[in-house]
Amino acid sequence: MAGGICILLLAGCVPAVPPDLIAEIEAIDQDLVALRAPEAAPEDYTRFARQWVSLKARVQTDDDLIRWPWESNDLENELRQLHGEGWSAVSRLNRRQAAQRQQAESALGRLEARFLSITSHVDSIQGRIALGGKPVHTDLLLKQARSFFDQKDYPRAIHTAEQASHALAAQTAALTRELGRYADHQQITSWQAIAKQTVDWSRTHQSTAILVSKAERELTLYKNGRKVLSYPVRLGFNGIRAKRFQGDGATPEGRYRVTDLRGAGQTQFYRALVLDYPNAEDRWRFRLAQKSGTITPTSRIGGQIEIHGRENELMAQTLGCIMLDNADMAALFSQVSIGTPVTIVGALTRENAVANALAQLSDHNADL
Amino acid sequence: MQLRLITVPLSLVILLAVGCAKPPSEQIEAAEKALKEAQQSGAATYSAEEYAKLEGSLTALRKEVSEQDGKLALFRDYGKVEQLASAAKTEGERVRTDAVKKKDEAKAAALQAQQVAQEAVNSTLALVGKAPVGKDRAALEAIKMDVDTLKASLNQIQTSIDREDYPAAQSQAKAIHEKSQAVSAEIQSALAKVGKRKSSASTK
Repeated sequence: MAGGICILLLAGCVPAVPPDLIAEIEAIDQDLVALRAPEAAPEDYTRFARQWVSLKARVQTDDDLIRWPWESNDLENELRQLHGEGWSAVSRLNRRQAAQRQQAESALGRLEARFLSITSHVDSIQGRIALGGKPVHTDLLLKQARSFFDQKDYPRAIHTAEQASHALAAQTAALTRELGRYADHQQITSWQAIAKQTVDWSRTHQSTAILVSKAERELTLYKNGRKVLSYPVRLGFNGIRAKRFQGDGATPEGRYRVTDLRGAGQTQFYRALVLDYPNAEDRWRFRLAQKSGTITPTSRIGGQIEIHGRENELMAQTLGCIMLDNADMAALFSQVSIGTPVTIVGALTRENAVANALAQLSDHNADL
Repeated sequence: MQLRLITVPLSLVILLAVGCAKPPSEQIEAAEKALKEAQQSGAATYSAEEYAKLEGSLTALRKEVSEQDGKLALFRDYGKVEQLASAAKTEGERVRTDAVKKKDEAKAAALQAQQVAQEAVNSTLALVGKAPVGKDRAALEAIKMDVDTLKASLNQIQTSIDREDYPAAQSQAKAIHEKSQAVSAEIQSALAKVGKRKSSASTK
């Protein structure tokens, strides 16, 4: 009889903690680790882990305990609460990680596309030199952000992408600062005025004159005030900028004259028209720049600016001169004499290539 | 009678012995020390999961000590405390060793990546030296500027290593390496296009 009662009572007893609950919390812990919760949400994970380890220790201690079904079980209650909190943390982290991934992917994709587009615009106007190390700096940041993204370190990918975005904006701002004069209406009006004077001179003197537009990379020959020929040209390696000192690779802007004609055997190039750079205005500007400290006192003004043909078929760039294909140079050479005016301007229209590129870059910046 | 005379004092001695149970201070301190050393070794960064669980073990230990301390002296039992302290100490030492190992591995990987990036930049610099002056000058001048910027960027890797931010150092080194290779390819292309003719002397 007594034995029967004992068996009945024991059958009614339950373990201190349901084993399934332990396994479920173990699984939640694994999920949190897989979601990199220890690094991504250290506070949440530490709270969970502390509680979990602490309760697990109690579970191990109370392993051999049994309780009556009607007895309250604090340990089980706490484990159930931890289960709920852990589950919420997993859901929260999943959502956060998905959002961060999307944010990083979208920001990176957008920035990489814009960087490529801006690079292409900058190359099209040969503005790369004017930007110094900025494009490489931006490129490195984008590569770093991509690397963090590949490692699933989305917060760092987003942070580095933000840095890249700032670098890209600074790059565009620097280009606008350097080449903004191509979009400056007053400056363009001034260039148009000197171009008109050159053409008028050609008409008045019934003579030839040369006009070069740097933005359009075009040389035009005028005869008696009328356009006769137009040729594509190449400029110095930094030709889009205004010449400031020797070796800067920039092509000067201003009114010059041909001082010498060098035929075959007289020049290293196919043919060459020597210009009177530096003229009085260039010298004045150079002295002013030295006085204001924008160029170093040891800088020199440079010289030997020419309109020339190619040295050989492989040559593709000058150090500040204006270069034509040999066939074009031959045609031009035959039409020009010593004293022919050569006017070099930045641009002749408001809708010039550089201004257009800058406007597009400005739109990119607004999007960023 | 004689037996009763012996039993009563003996029981008292046993009761006193049990009642005078004290927390195992040395073992608790050793466990706390192991946690601190693990933390100082960078475990929170390099073995974040295990470190968090180690903190959990210490929390459980402190809770158990507190529970026992709160009991009447006669009912205190620090056996579980000893067990938890010993386990936490062992675990703390393991986590510290593991963190040190992972940190060393991360540092070694960052240094290796730094070296690879340095060699790539050096190789690109050597290529720039071979490029002829005066030919496709815009591209070559831009390339020189890029390489100078890459060279300067190598310092950032060292800064990250000095800050013990090895993941950042690795990503910077990888970016510099990739960019350096791209610039080298650009130079090779320019060299192929330009040939190796002598440069033209000019003031300009």
